[in-house]
Amino acid sequence: MRFLGWRQILLALAGFGLIVAALLIAGAVPAEAIQTVVERALTRPAGWRNIIKEATPLLLLGCSVFIALKVGLFNIGADGQFVIGAVCSAVVALNVPAPINIPLAILAGIVGGCLWAYPVGLIKAYRGGHEVITTIMLNNIAGFLTFYLVSGVLKDPKSQQPSTAYISDLSKLPNILENGPLRINFAIIIAILVVIATWFFLKKTTVGYEIAATGENPNVAKFSGINVNRIMIRTMTASGGVAGLAGALQVLAYEHRFYGNFSPGYGFDALGVALLAGGNPLGILASGTLFATIAESTNVLSRTGVPKGLSFILLGVLVIVFAAFRYRKEANRGSDS
Amino acid sequence: MDQILNLLASTSGISITTLLLSTLAYSSPLILCALGGLFSERSGVINIGLEGKMLAAACATAFVGAASQNPVVGLSAGIGIAILLSLLHWILTQVYQIDHIISGMGINALALGGTSLVSKTFVELGGKDAAIFPRELYYLAAWVAAAAIWYLFRSTRPGLRIFAVGNDPDKSRQMGLKPLGIRLQSLVMTGVLTGLAGALIATNAGRFSDEMTSGRGYIALAALILGGWKPWPTLLAALAFGFFGSLQLILQGRDLGGLAVPGEFWQALPYLITLIALAGMLGRNRAPAGLGQP
Repeated sequence: MRFLGWRQILLALAGFGLIVAALLIAGAVPAEAIQTVVERALTRPAGWRNIIKEATPLLLLGCSVFIALKVGLFNIGADGQFVIGAVCSAVVALNVPAPINIPLAILAGIVGGCLWAYPVGLIKAYRGGHEVITTIMLNNIAGFLTFYLVSGVLKDPKSQQPSTAYISDLSKLPNILENGPLRINFAIIIAILVVIATWFFLKKTTVGYEIAATGENPNVAKFSGINVNRIMIRTMTASGGVAGLAGALQVLAYEHRFYGNFSPGYGFDALGVALLAGGNPLGILASGTLFATIAESTNVLSRTGVPKGLSFILLGVLVIVFAAFRYRKEANRGSDS
Repeated sequence: MDQILNLLASTSGISITTLLLSTLAYSSPLILCALGGLFSERSGVINIGLEGKMLAAACATAFVGAASQNPVVGLSAGIGIAILLSLLHWILTQVYQIDHIISGMGINALALGGTSLVSKTFVELGGKDAAIFPRELYYLAAWVAAAAIWYLFRSTRPGLRIFAVGNDPDKSRQMGLKPLGIRLQSLVMTGVLTGLAGALIATNAGRFSDEMTSGRGYIALAALILGGWKPWPTLLAALAFGFFGSLQLILQGRDLGGLAVPGEFWQALPYLITLIALAGMLGRNRAPAGLGQP
């Protein structure tokens, strides 16, 4: 086994120790905490519904980061594209009449996300500016811009908080069934379909192959006749579009409005979901569900007095340990250092 | 600019001194943090974990300072935890060869979760005032650090070595340098400086609150990029960001007639300037050439 050295095992043990230590500091008994999670989150339909709700943006954002990662770009900006998509979608849902409102609102979200990611690709391709830096900048700009909008022109006069009005019932994305165990929103179906479509696109189409080739080695790709700059820009834009879709669905299916500080910090979760998926986009289905389960579990635990900071520690350890097994820098393998 | 200052002085009674002091208070953590990032990135280690190190340092300084009632112990705890996180970054990126971005994001998450856990668990201690050093010491430290780094990279052997390792790790390896060891030293310095930055943020606020660094690690990163990874330009960029930041704080809630620009605009300004700079002529060929290489 190439990846299973003693160092990796040591790191995994250290990570596990850190999580247990965090639980103990927080004043929770690990065994009791696990019991609480199993009873209140994992074995109740209400818990499952929450997990599905949490999973919707995570699947899509994970997908967004995954697509960019394939072409060799870290889309730390999924967060920003998500809130821009959400605000665009909310504006359309509030102002467009019934029959065309939902499709248009979804489209607006996608377009918003695309536009927010497009400059990242441009700057990377033509200026060599690192995509991580530009996306961090754009995330913060998106946060301030949308906060300004919802505390000004888009603010619902009746609301005390910086928030838009609620969208009408006709603009809400419906549940699959209103009663019974299938009281879950169509949004999750869309998210799953997008993941499958991403798998098909990346694995079965020529463009998908070109993306992978560019991600593996841009120089080789260039010499084999691929327009590397164009591929990078378009892939980054598509990645933004998927993140924008996540924002649109969050508004139309779950939140039903847009408000200040809309994203609870999905950027890191999205990166984690994409990394843990491994090489196959379908892995996002598993990693997204895992992250959603962790989110719901820490939600449940926080109601028993365990601080929510625990979830960040859990996810941080998970991502770092997993990366130590899988995402090591290629260049150093076989060299002397 | 003169007009704005005059207007400030005449309409709202804000003196230039107030603005200068507030600029110092706002920019010094940025300067310290950006210079910390400079060490790391000059040696070839991408560091988007500045925010997390600063946050952890602020937390440790406030809580240990409150518990011990001794400023030396508090500050040492702050710097210590920042060095520890820096060393973790070194281990992950250099020994485990994890991608630098992933490691940085992971460390930010650990710091965010860990500090929130601590502040929720030790609520009583968080309410007590911490023993702290006067903030002027930190202001001084920021400028001294810039001068020292400028001298270090301009005319000393260790500086040249960090520079070489960051620009071309392979060639410097052939010349007999050990990139791993040099990066270790650089990252310890990153820890010291980000630790000071975090301690200053805790000092300015008096006590710790969740996410109190509020993205300033990223603004420092922006200053570092805008300054072209050079100490004095980086300091200038951080100073400018600090000026606009404090201007925004002062102008908040005041009636300025035609000059009323939304506060969010001022807050977004550092990011906007950096983005435009990256899109313009500053994008190419200024970063250390070996950034992110093993």
